[in-house]
Amino acid sequence: MPVAASAVYFLNLRGDVLINRMYRDDVGGNMVDAFRTNIMQSKELGTCPVRQIGGCSFLYMRISNVYIVIVVSSNANAACAFKFVVEAVALFKSYFGGAFDEDAIRNNFVLIYELLDEIMDFGYPQNLSPEILKLYITQEGVGSPFSSKPQDIRTPANATLQVTGAVGWRREGLVYKKNEVFLDIVESVNLLMSQKGTTLQCDVTGKILMKCFLSGMPDLKLGLNDKIGLEKEAEAKARPSRSGKTIELDDVTFHQCVNLTRFNTEKTVSFVPPDGEFELMKYRITDGINLPFRVLPSIKELGRTRMEVNVKVKSVFGARMFALGVVVKVPVPKHTAKANFQVTSGRAKYNAALDCLVWKVRKFPGQTELTMSAEVELISTMEEKKSWTRPPIQMEFQVPMFTASGLRVRFLKVWEKSGYNTVEWVRYITKAGSYEIRC
Amino acid sequence: MALSGMRGLSVFISDVRNCQNKEQERVRVDKELANIRTRFKNQRGLTPYEKKKYVWKMLYIYMLGYDVDFGHMETVALISAPKYAEKQVGYIVTSCLLNENHDFLRLVINTVRNDIIGRNETFQCLALTMVGNVGGREFSESLAPDVQKLLVSNTCRPLVRKKAALCLLRLYRKNPDVVNVEGWSQQMVQLLDERDLGVLTAVMSLLVALVASNPDGYWSCLPKCVHILERLTRNQDILQEYTYYGIPSPWLQVKTMRVLQYFPVVEDPNVRRGLFDVLQRILVGTDVVKNVNKNNASHAVLFEAIALVMHLDADKEMMSQCVALLGKFVAVREPNIRYLGLENMTRMLLVADVNESIKKHQAHIISSLKDPDISIRRRSLDLLYGMCDISNAKDIVEELLQYLTTADFGIREELALKAAILAEKFAPNLAWYVEVILQLIEKAGDFVSDDIWYRVVQFVTNNDDLQAFAAAKARDYLDKPAVHETMVKVAGYLLGEYSHLLARRPGCSPKEVFHIIHDKFPTVTTPTKALLLSAYVKILMHSQPPDQELQAQVDEVFKRCESFIDAEVQQRAVEYIILSHKGPSMVDIMAEMPKFPERQSALIKRAEDAEGEPTEMSATKLRQRQNSMALVVADPGSANGGLPPPSEQLALPEPPPPAPEPAAPAAPAAPQSAYANGTNKAPAPASTNGDLLGDLLAPLALEAPPISTPSPLTQSADPGEPLALALYDQQNQIKPIGSIEDWFRALSLKDSGVLYEDPYIQIGIKSEWREAQAKMVLFLGNKHTVPLVNIRVLILPAPHLKMQFSRVPDTIPPRAQVQVPVEVTCLSASRETAVLDFSYTISTLPVNVKLRLPTLMNKIFQAAPVSASDFVAHWRAIAGPPTKLQEVVRGVRPMPVSDMGDLFNSLHIGVAPGLDPNVNNIVAATTFFSQAGATLCLVRVETDPSDRTQMRLTVASQDPNVTYEVKEFIKEQVIDIPFARTPAPTPSPAVMGLTGPAAVLAGLI
Repeated sequence: MPVAASAVYFLNLRGDVLINRMYRDDVGGNMVDAFRTNIMQSKELGTCPVRQIGGCSFLYMRISNVYIVIVVSSNANAACAFKFVVEAVALFKSYFGGAFDEDAIRNNFVLIYELLDEIMDFGYPQNLSPEILKLYITQEGVGSPFSSKPQDIRTPANATLQVTGAVGWRREGLVYKKNEVFLDIVESVNLLMSQKGTTLQCDVTGKILMKCFLSGMPDLKLGLNDKIGLEKEAEAKARPSRSGKTIELDDVTFHQCVNLTRFNTEKTVSFVPPDGEFELMKYRITDGINLPFRVLPSIKELGRTRMEVNVKVKSVFGARMFALGVVVKVPVPKHTAKANFQVTSGRAKYNAALDCLVWKVRKFPGQTELTMSAEVELISTMEEKKSWTRPPIQMEFQVPMFTASGLRVRFLKVWEKSGYNTVEWVRYITKAGSYEIRC
Repeated sequence: MALSGMRGLSVFISDVRNCQNKEQERVRVDKELANIRTRFKNQRGLTPYEKKKYVWKMLYIYMLGYDVDFGHMETVALISAPKYAEKQVGYIVTSCLLNENHDFLRLVINTVRNDIIGRNETFQCLALTMVGNVGGREFSESLAPDVQKLLVSNTCRPLVRKKAALCLLRLYRKNPDVVNVEGWSQQMVQLLDERDLGVLTAVMSLLVALVASNPDGYWSCLPKCVHILERLTRNQDILQEYTYYGIPSPWLQVKTMRVLQYFPVVEDPNVRRGLFDVLQRILVGTDVVKNVNKNNASHAVLFEAIALVMHLDADKEMMSQCVALLGKFVAVREPNIRYLGLENMTRMLLVADVNESIKKHQAHIISSLKDPDISIRRRSLDLLYGMCDISNAKDIVEELLQYLTTADFGIREELALKAAILAEKFAPNLAWYVEVILQLIEKAGDFVSDDIWYRVVQFVTNNDDLQAFAAAKARDYLDKPAVHETMVKVAGYLLGEYSHLLARRPGCSPKEVFHIIHDKFPTVTTPTKALLLSAYVKILMHSQPPDQELQAQVDEVFKRCESFIDAEVQQRAVEYIILSHKGPSMVDIMAEMPKFPERQSALIKRAEDAEGEPTEMSATKLRQRQNSMALVVADPGSANGGLPPPSEQLALPEPPPPAPEPAAPAAPAAPQSAYANGTNKAPAPASTNGDLLGDLLAPLALEAPPISTPSPLTQSADPGEPLALALYDQQNQIKPIGSIEDWFRALSLKDSGVLYEDPYIQIGIKSEWREAQAKMVLFLGNKHTVPLVNIRVLILPAPHLKMQFSRVPDTIPPRAQVQVPVEVTCLSASRETAVLDFSYTISTLPVNVKLRLPTLMNKIFQAAPVSASDFVAHWRAIAGPPTKLQEVVRGVRPMPVSDMGDLFNSLHIGVAPGLDPNVNNIVAATTFFSQAGATLCLVRVETDPSDRTQMRLTVASQDPNVTYEVKEFIKEQVIDIPFARTPAPTPSPAVMGLTGPAAVLAGLI
């Protein structure tokens, strides 16, 4: 098992150490000073997550207003270290019941130290699953008053069994009055489109999130309209697959509860779910993607001090659906002085900190076309021909009940000894990942 | 700064200061910049107040490190505003945001000029400050006269004139043409009469810069400067505000003394006396006090005064007074003062005669060597190194050796090197030197470079009476428990060569010596192993009568090494095992190493290379000049055993024993000793390829063929052999190995190389030209195992050359080398060469060769870099024949123009690329030296791209003879096969008449 960390530091944006925890003595205690002076003060902060200074590697991540820094002196596994940070943050969040930021850390020093003792030993990551840790580290986080939720106190009866047992992720004897399953399919679209409208790069990363409130030890089976599953089924039933669209999933990863032998033999996703919320699977799709928006930009530079920007955005999803929180960011040169806008819908303004014209549309109906046109005035600068690199236009949006990949849940079967009835809820949402159009 | 009125600015600054982190700050600044851009864009609504406020904000943002590349127009516009507050912003921001090359500055020149010549003092000050800060050529061209006027005007207040002086200084630095010496020197004299010390200080800064570039022009300022110094030191008429801790304006004092150091020695006795009075006063009046600031000020003055004393070559008394004062400093506990004392004392060493007085402080200096502060330790090490001479060398070197064991690792290598150099330079006797170096190796083995022990070996080899002593010492050191590898190397080498001299002593029988050395064998590195193998075979050879047991042991070692992984060790083992069974003939091969030719100590050379600081460098150089003869300086009368007379000891290569007369008679002694003191390179040709000792350590190989089979070749006048000038005696059956022609051609471009080689003798040549003079050394090396007899060397000089050389011994012993130094002086230009007539007899076979010596014209040339304008001016000045000659040359070796340029450059005729617009032409210049002086020659070659075999050559110089000879010389070089068997179509003999050795040779043909 690879080493992930010799020391872990939590720093605020000013560089003060909030928490430090040394796991090995191969790095000095003053290493955090090196981080502060050589990384936080430098311009490269945020450009490269791994830096090497004085024989030590610093792996850092910013989460809200906290830097989590991992220091290693050996050739550690960087991916493992970052995964550890991500998981640890998820763990802390589930303990604090909400945000993870400087204040939350200050309020939960003792808890964090206790957790840090548990989740890593001598630099090797240990069990980071909140469900299990919560059984044994019962100290309650000081959550914000709004999100606090009554927690049932359980007895730490069979600790070893929990960790080593066959179904380590689920306790026995759960009882719910109403058996419910929530299934969310969340996709984010990454796009890079050329000026002329040809797609240069496009993919969708999706994940299926699940929230179970089921009694007993239920066995679940999920059917999607993906290629492998459908073909298998068609084979079994000895009839040709339906003419409907099938989706080819790449890079599928499952939660540990999914029975992989059954997936390999029967190509079905069957599992005993953990209690509460978890991520069932992740996937990626590169073919046959339905882009929700088309963008037609035209940016003209009229002389040295004027620019004309014209952006046309067209929604191509179903007319009855609508997108929420659409933001179009059109980059402009650094020496922009003023911009006059004309928009068919929403609001636009010049944001100097981002060097962008930001156009926001709160609700964008399907099958419509909106335009924003702006006259930008620039101030004359010293350097005559400071070439402007024309960065791409960026877009943010959320489209509920739409999947860019076309993935659909075909069925979700729940089987339990007692044979109770369950209610299943399925939601779809498509978000923008890095949705960029060159101009 | 009128910040109070600008709320927006103070709000912005407090916003920025309140930012929690860098990111917030950036956001805030970006927002502000966007705001400023918007405001500047619609100019109409902008009031002067707002403009001022935003420009201040821009400056603040710029100072925070953000890019501000707009708004310059607004800034520049503020300069012409009528109100002070706005003008001030304009000037300040302009001088911060714009640099001297900026176009915007052109816009302001007029406004600035108006402010400078205007009546308003504050505006004048603002303008002068901005001009001084920005500088720039354009400012200096258009504003310098006005600034000068301000400086000398009587009506201005001192404040303005002060600024004007500093502004002028800055403009002068950027563009020295703004001040013309003739007109300005008188002005400076008048300015130095100024009573106001502030103005005087500023003027003095200006004077420092002026005098630094042209001390002669400001000669008349010198008495004034002395007068100012007098005034300051007497504390006459000095306002309270210009005294600093009771010292009258230390800044002005320092600057004045700095100015004085730029003038050569003061001639006028009155001025000189006055100056020395002042210096005396400073030297007496300075002491170490409690107050740090006072100390700093007074010491700054003092050290400048000491520098001035050194510069003026003051009398001995004053020097020793300085040294005494510095000695006091060295004894102080305060590290800063101590450092300064040591540093200045090192500098004092530059001046002669202070050595004795510095020596009085030796104890203090040595104790500084143990100071906790490393920079003080370094300074004292430098000082000790510099002050060392014969009288105190023993103490100092011993002190350094003692210190070596406790010294920092950072300083150890330097320390070891310096100790080794001192030991070598000032050794009272060689035994002591060997002893010191062995100690050094023992104490700091890791830091002793190879050069150091090579040097020991050289000395021991060259001094017979040292050998037994050194071997005994080496043996003693090997007995110690932990021996450094370098020690193993030295001891292995010395014992291999000389252990037989100890054979009588207890514990030194060959077998015991072998065992002692062999104990170390497994632990050493491969190169050392190879060295030790050589040592074994030598010990074995020396064991008389042959010791079978030892032979068996050594054989076993060799056998084991026969399959050693390193090729060198393996080869030695294989060769030695065979050689060791050769019996008595081994003695010849394994004979003692021959003496080394004397050469400059590699250590000193290294130390010179290592010197970084210029002052240190000059100190070392000076030392070398003083003690040129290294060990030879040692007192011959001292009790150093039976050393040979010092003149024979090292400076001259000792004559090999069989030679009937000294190899180097009195005549070449002068150049020889020149080699010894490091002005020349090592003379031995073998030294050209790496380290001599390294070469000698390699196994020997036989290269000369046995005498019994003289090569039965027929006639030397082989028609196929391109021999134009070098001829053989008709009886001569010995042919050169290689082509004489090729050697000569190579030497015509190089300074050293082989002139002639046959199976018995090799003649090498090495020449060093300095303008019209050359030192040439001929190396006659006998390659054979039989002495060469009846050596006769004659040089038939060309009429234009004066050549002197010393007598040559008429026998060269086997495997020995004789050097013949030749001094050459060029009297006039000629392309003829001198001829060496050399003959010898090898076992009754007489050999005679005539060789051209590479005393070609191009050796005397020195490429002259000329600018286009110079070239054209000279070219035009020389009208036509006979000083400017032109000829169309045909039959040129076809080559591209670039190759021809390279050829010219290799002949030291410096091609000036790009001077001629036509790419097919070459323009070059060179300087020809003769006894009459230097002559600049200009050469122009026009080639025809369609026919590369012809070109037009034009040569111009002041001297018709030089012109002609240079032209012919170039012709010879470019014409196809200039050294062809058929005489080259040069008209020279016909024109110049048949004189000189060429004629002699022509006769012989």
